[in-house]
Amino acid sequence: MDVTRPPRTDSLAALRTEVREFVADHTDAAGVDSWLVGWDEEFTRELAARRWLGMTVPVEYGGHGRTHLERFAVTEELLAAGAPVAAHWIADRQIVPSLLRYGTEEQKRRYLPAIAAGTCFFGIGMSEPDSGSDLASVRTRATRADGGWTITGTKVWTSGAHRADAFICLARSEPLDPAHRHAGLSQFLVDLRSPGVRIRPIHSMDGSHHFNEVHLDGVHVPDDMVFGTLGEGWTQVTSELAFERSGPERFLSTFPLLAECVEQTRLGTLEPSDDTGRLVARVAGLHRMSSDVAGRLERGERADVAAAVVKVLGTSTEGDVAEHVDLLGGGARTQPERLRRFTESALVQRPGFTLRGGTSEVLRGVIARELGLR
Amino acid sequence: MSDTVTSVDADLVAMMRQVFLDAREKVEEGPLVAGEDLWSELDELGLVRLTGDEDSGGSGAGWAEAAELLRAAAGAGVRVPLGEHDLLACRLLADAGLPADDARRTVAELDAAGTGLAVPWASTAGRIVLLVPRDGGYAVADVAAGDVRITPGTGASEEARDTVYAAPAVTAGATPVEHRVVAAYRLRAALVRGVQVSAALDRILELTVEHVRDRVQFGRPLARFQAVQHLVADIACEAELARAATGAAVELMAVAGPDDPRTAFAVAVARSCAGHAASVAVRNAHQALGAIGTTREHRLHEYTRAALAWRNEFGAVREWDRRVAAAAADAGGSGLWPLVVD
Repeated sequence: MDVTRPPRTDSLAALRTEVREFVADHTDAAGVDSWLVGWDEEFTRELAARRWLGMTVPVEYGGHGRTHLERFAVTEELLAAGAPVAAHWIADRQIVPSLLRYGTEEQKRRYLPAIAAGTCFFGIGMSEPDSGSDLASVRTRATRADGGWTITGTKVWTSGAHRADAFICLARSEPLDPAHRHAGLSQFLVDLRSPGVRIRPIHSMDGSHHFNEVHLDGVHVPDDMVFGTLGEGWTQVTSELAFERSGPERFLSTFPLLAECVEQTRLGTLEPSDDTGRLVARVAGLHRMSSDVAGRLERGERADVAAAVVKVLGTSTEGDVAEHVDLLGGGARTQPERLRRFTESALVQRPGFTLRGGTSEVLRGVIARELGLR
Repeated sequence: MSDTVTSVDADLVAMMRQVFLDAREKVEEGPLVAGEDLWSELDELGLVRLTGDEDSGGSGAGWAEAAELLRAAAGAGVRVPLGEHDLLACRLLADAGLPADDARRTVAELDAAGTGLAVPWASTAGRIVLLVPRDGGYAVADVAAGDVRITPGTGASEEARDTVYAAPAVTAGATPVEHRVVAAYRLRAALVRGVQVSAALDRILELTVEHVRDRVQFGRPLARFQAVQHLVADIACEAELARAATGAAVELMAVAGPDDPRTAFAVAVARSCAGHAASVAVRNAHQALGAIGTTREHRLHEYTRAALAWRNEFGAVREWDRRVAAAAADAGGSGLWPLVVD
């Protein structure tokens, strides 16, 4: 049994307390699935002012030189409170580690200080209309042009593209070789204000607008905005998956609803339920698992399978919270406003939990492969 | 929580595992219920009083090592009352300020009429530590097994689960203990079973992986079927959750002790997680192994039946859910997150 855990130093506990006190003053802005739907640029800038953005970015690039575990603690506190963190979410979680690993000096100087300041927002350009789970089948093409590349294709499910400044686009820069499907893919930093970029909303079932379709029609990307190494796009997009899959957003999307459920149980509005305990216990166990993965990543260890396990269990559990409170009647018109609103929102967001960032079916395959089954 | 990191020496863990695997190999059909030979061997290795003080003949180890020992035995299909003797009986005696000797012990918690049901390993113990209600509180008496009436029984884990009756005269001189001593004993007992369930689930995963890789149907190993892969992946997920939750509880028991409310919460979380994990692991493993997994001949039952039995000892799964729910309701909406994370 691995009973090591990331050290809970006093400074980490103090940091948690600090964030907790800050979000306690912003409970009106709280919501379910806040890392996707809670776009609040003012809130983001307040976090930046408190040095809670770009935490792992070195000081020389405008960041704060903190550890992944410190960022993990801050992120957990924000998500548990349902704080509106969507504006900077992709930039802070995904783009920062990618830039630090693959970005050129110029790219790092251009984007990292702005991300840490909460003034530059990013999207992800991976999925396409015909490429969901099967990412290697992307058809967006990058062709050589004078001084750079010309990109043509369509990206979908790009959350926040209508408000973001840029995205990292995965495109095929060499013709598909059926024997080596993962070869010939490259990544590009694309300014979403560039000529040839057209952004069309994809409205969610409740009418809200978080996702977009991004059409790229001969968009010019200069050579200095090639991201990482040409032809290494597949390795680059998969290298950061452990961070993406094991993070606290994979089990805390509905934590504000679970907390509201507990509160309404305490007040006698909802009937006590053993399943509330079962779900709280699972969240506590997942917190432990996710912390362990963060500790391993901090030490530079591989944690792909553990990360996949966190995502499979975490996303099903956060969906089960929505289901549980709904079964208790939390969504009824007669319920207190906050409980009802959180329940409704959680039910709408729920199907996405086990889809985004790798479907549960794909992830079970990842786990099975590691067990030697395939 | 301090920044103490508990980790157990890998050589010690390897040694523990080997002892039980070797013992298990000596019998055709499992589980192996340990007799005097194995107990003596474990005693010589310093493993039967692992957490006892060194000046009283113990090995001076902590909960982290004790949990590894429990896992090694449970994971090998060996039934041996190491937790009952060391972590429960001898510890309870020490807490009550009573001396212990080399006799193999267990604890029997008795009702007001002097009866204890499903007492683990009473019929094989030399002495029994009785925990009896007394004047609205509790008292502890250390008695020879021959001084009480034992009606032997066997649980689904194939371990002794006996009925113990102690006449009033036997417990008349019992030493009163504070309630926190009783609460600590019950918490340790619950955690012992949680660790055993987690170890059984890990072994269930291994057996299932072995089977689906070897067994060929429709011209290919079962492991090649996606439906089977997903059954096994879900066992892996639940086993991992059980391991993480029991690991967290063991660590708090080691570092903060049983009186810390965080330990009580962590144990309840561990028992809830491990209990529900057993549902998925047992169901999916039996599905993946097919009819062979239902036989006496196959080893799977040594772990599936035990996991189902252990998860409801010292508190049923639903009872642990309820305790977590009650702790959450006490904490309220704004206290839930600190309860989970601090």
